[in-house]
Amino acid sequence: MIIDVNAYLGHWPFRQLRHNTASGILRLMDENGIDKAIVSSINAIFYKNCHAGNEELAVETKTHRDRLITFATLNPQYAGWEDDLKQCREDFGMAGLRLFPHYHSYELASKTSLDMIHKATDGGMVLAVPVCMVDRRQRHWLDNVSDLPISDIESAMRECPEAGFIILSGRGFQDSGLVRDEKLRSGNFLIEISRLSVVLQEEIPRLIEVLGPSKLAFGTGIPFKYPMPALLKMQVLDAPEQVKEKIRWENVARMLE
Amino acid sequence: MKIDCHMHVNGRKRSWGWGDNDKIIDAADRLGIDKMCCSIPITTGMPTPAEVRECNDDVLEAMERYPGRILGYCFVNPGYQKEAIAEIERCVIKHGMMGIKLYNQYKCSDPVVYPIAEKAMELRIPILEHAGYVTDPPQAAMQPNISHAGDFVALAAKYPEAMLIEAHIGGGGDWEWAIKSLRHSPSVYVDTSGSVIDEGMIEMAVRELGARRLLFGTDMTMEGGVGKIMGAKLTEAQRESIFWENMAAILEKRVQL
Repeated sequence: MIIDVNAYLGHWPFRQLRHNTASGILRLMDENGIDKAIVSSINAIFYKNCHAGNEELAVETKTHRDRLITFATLNPQYAGWEDDLKQCREDFGMAGLRLFPHYHSYELASKTSLDMIHKATDGGMVLAVPVCMVDRRQRHWLDNVSDLPISDIESAMRECPEAGFIILSGRGFQDSGLVRDEKLRSGNFLIEISRLSVVLQEEIPRLIEVLGPSKLAFGTGIPFKYPMPALLKMQVLDAPEQVKEKIRWENVARMLE
Repeated sequence: MKIDCHMHVNGRKRSWGWGDNDKIIDAADRLGIDKMCCSIPITTGMPTPAEVRECNDDVLEAMERYPGRILGYCFVNPGYQKEAIAEIERCVIKHGMMGIKLYNQYKCSDPVVYPIAEKAMELRIPILEHAGYVTDPPQAAMQPNISHAGDFVALAAKYPEAMLIEAHIGGGGDWEWAIKSLRHSPSVYVDTSGSVIDEGMIEMAVRELGARRLLFGTDMTMEGGVGKIMGAKLTEAQRESIFWENMAAILEKRVQL
């Protein structure tokens, strides 16, 4: 079983994507042996009223809920987010909330943000935070958004220790508080592996060594990225099968429970 | 069979962060990479001939330590023209290196590079030039003399017989810009290395340039480098061509002395 925690549906305004519909991403998952994926709406990142993207996502995935696990996208500064969150959870059955503070211009550990994180957590939703969406070296001239510092996510985790966080598309964890701070280290978080390596720099084996195998989750970044590199990492990872199973799906399945 | 056209080894003073060079061989073994074409470029400032020679001596040592697995590029600073030519002769003619590596000291369209291109043509060896069309102004400002595809077009127009390799389309900024720029310069190859594993990149390069002009590389992103070629929608003939046949054909052209 493989669950991809880092997938999207929708249109990215700065580069043409393929396989970005429900049927397209399911085909791509089938071709690569990926059973389930957590998806959120790319459109929602760019709509002022994010919730319209959540509504689109709910319609698009309606007949694929067995394989596509939907996460909402909301901006805590925008009117009506509490109602929208409730609808995402109760009517659309969304299991989590992806936050884009760098695209929506707010601090992840600000009071407004923490209010939403608390509300989502109280409703049993998981939080997911992408560190970046594109490599800055190739950004579109209108996409003037910096990568999110991991320390911002750590600050939110400190303020809301009961929340479950999935950190997407990050790197450089070795020197982060998630590794160095004992309290954070034992927190409820998962690090997604798409930008980490198994061989040479050995970031994944090192994280397993310091954090244990329960803090990592398989992710690809589809349809932005090729899924094969992440699958290859799991193949070449020199670890017992039970460790690989935790990373492939068990860790995230437990968090989603 | 896989030949990595863009890789590095650690030297005595210049290290890329993974410890002993045995790690490279281990990574290559796990990913099925047979040969790696390696260099140690100096990535900032204007290196002196003595500094350049020290880098190349370390590559030669790695070639000797891993015969047949590590092939060497001779790194030079074209600004020291006479010394650069002498260093190419030492490394290629005397010690059997397979190509020339240029970094960001000069754009490859700069006339200072012409004698290097002429020497490469004389020896029938490729030039692998660090490159990128970096769209993020702060990052672009860090490398004012980095070559982009337009510089390769200019050099290829002057020396159509030269075998020019534009480095890492997956690590050099806007890859769509690079690919489209090179459409009409058939003597320029692109290397697929770099940490960017954007879905569709390889297919676009094959569509616009033809599989014959793509060379598999990692530039130390090992799983990503292999995974993007494995995962791209290509024919098996195209995949073989990119993984090793194109580079093997380049290596075969070297003048035997």
